Amino acid sequence: MMPTTRRATFRAVLAATAAAVPLTRPVRAAAAQPPAASREATLYKNPQCDCCEGYAAYLRENGYEVRVLPSHDLALISRQQQVPPTLEGCHITMVDGYTVVGHVPIGPVNRLLAERPDIRGISLPGMPMGSPGMGGPKAAPFTIYTIPRDPAAEPAVYAVE
Amino acid sequence: MPISRLPMLGRRFLMLGGAAAFSATGLRPVPAVARAADSAVSGGSTIRLIARPGRAALAGPPHSEPETTVWGYDGRVPGPEIRVRQGERLRVVLENRLPEETTIHWHGLRVPNAMDGVPHLTQPPIAPGESFAYEFDATDAGTYWYHPHVRSFEQVERGLYGPLVIEERELPRTIDRDVTWVLDDWRLLEDAQIAGGFGNAMEAGMTGRVGNTVTVNGRVTDGGFAVRSGERLRLRLVNAANARIFGLVFEGHEPVVVALDGQPVTPHAPEDGRVVVGPGMRVDLVLDMTGRPGARARVLDTYYAKLEYRLLEIAYGAEPLRDRPPTAPIPTLPANPVPEPNLARAERHAVVLGGGMMNHLEGALVDGRWLDAREMMRRGLIWTVNGTAAAPGVHVHEPLAVLRRGASYLLEIRNETAWPHPMHLHGHSFRVIARNGVPTRHREWQDTVLIPRRESVEIAFVADNPGDWMFHCHVLEHQAAGMMGLVRVA
Repeated sequence: MMPTTRRATFRAVLAATAAAVPLTRPVRAAAAQPPAASREATLYKNPQCDCCEGYAAYLRENGYEVRVLPSHDLALISRQQQVPPTLEGCHITMVDGYTVVGHVPIGPVNRLLAERPDIRGISLPGMPMGSPGMGGPKAAPFTIYTIPRDPAAEPAVYAVE
Repeated sequence: MPISRLPMLGRRFLMLGGAAAFSATGLRPVPAVARAADSAVSGGSTIRLIARPGRAALAGPPHSEPETTVWGYDGRVPGPEIRVRQGERLRVVLENRLPEETTIHWHGLRVPNAMDGVPHLTQPPIAPGESFAYEFDATDAGTYWYHPHVRSFEQVERGLYGPLVIEERELPRTIDRDVTWVLDDWRLLEDAQIAGGFGNAMEAGMTGRVGNTVTVNGRVTDGGFAVRSGERLRLRLVNAANARIFGLVFEGHEPVVVALDGQPVTPHAPEDGRVVVGPGMRVDLVLDMTGRPGARARVLDTYYAKLEYRLLEIAYGAEPLRDRPPTAPIPTLPANPVPEPNLARAERHAVVLGGGMMNHLEGALVDGRWLDAREMMRRGLIWTVNGTAAAPGVHVHEPLAVLRRGASYLLEIRNETAWPHPMHLHGHSFRVIARNGVPTRHREWQDTVLIPRRESVEIAFVADNPGDWMFHCHVLEHQAAGMMGLVRVA
């Protein structure tokens, strides 16, 4: 589809983003494991970055349905989702009301969706070697941080993998 | 001090505005506009420019409200089109009414070093409230542009840029109309204001800041670009965007490239029918309007896969200019007086571009000190030229190379990063003689060469312009994050 103007595209992107991510708090799920139907993810990526496709493939291997949308507005989406600049990544995955930034391993992602903590999401910043989709040898443990609901709050360590 | 009005500005707005009015009201389009020569700034007069905040209706009617707050030359986007005849002297006085320092760099023009507009290196930056007079001869005919070289990733992004056309001594025959399209993109929020976050570190390590709203001459062109059947246009494309690469397809038309970065090239069809224009670059096209009266044709930008869009529509008026475009061959433009490098005797230098996301970087020399990658990131640095990263905002460096004045040089530039880089050399035009070891067909003269990721180019030139010259990536976020160096011609 060819949008009629850039402005239309821009509005469409914002609308799509807003629709994908409810700004209200996610409802705490009763079950520990989210139902399979909710495992749909939308991944926004830089149009010229390859590693993001690798991460999408990784999520698919782990049972997620992933829609990949190249976008020039990653920085804007990050800002809208109140991702701190230090935690920004080359792609952003919206899944079941949460924002997952970067190459986060599946364990913490599943835990996030099962436990449904009162945070915006989680991030593995810095595109570390050996992380899912990045390839290469893993040089050090991955530290995954929370994206707090309160933008003034300090990100906390969510998991070390 | 004589003051020169710049009538070209009105002409360009008339062009797009006229097209919009035509489609809205059914009036006849504005007939072929005055020849460029009629409105040229005459030699010897002084042009006054004021860099200041202003407001621009980027979206155009019916979306003109709210307007966007911009920084522009004379408060407008783009700044006034400066036109002079080749060989004339150009004198421009810039007054700075911005809240910060600025300069003007005359992109692509082979000016004396003191006129090059690089802060601290070739002139003191112009403080708010102060003025600076630029004066130089218009040596080479062609399409150029002007923009600041101070914090350009923000100043250019806010709208400080304008086209500069140097007309051939004798205008090429069989061209009916000479049109400039300054291409830019903007990252607008829903209130139509420019989003902050200039120089965002994640983007700086990737594509740079690519916007969400594309304008041609400061407007989203909903109404179409008015043409007449049988016309032959010279279309001057200027990419003023910080980071966006354009790949334009003219549906149903066959553009012919006649100049690159201002310098004439053997007329040829663009590769795969797509006109690729990297940041800072210019492409002159001859476009024959072969459509029927009343027809419409799309101009698409297909550079980024899955993010293709319609840039604008070509809208044919009801009245043809003539039955068909001129049958005379597309004219080859007269060569500019650029000295020819002696390849047999040229001294070879290697330039390696490194760093960026999806790449391994141990560290780099910054101001003569080795910093590891983590420490570099802390200072907003992520790119290197020959293992050195230019400290943010600093334009004075140890030269990458000292070149002997008058000698020929061949630089092999290897892009070892995962991202494309339009590399710009100040003060010189160079021949692009090979890509990935294969000789180029047209040996085109350029001042900004787009190097795809993991590819190489060889450029050759005579170091005939004395002084310290910047050599940097024209993705302005890459430049700010270290991809800049200095070449000394002594």
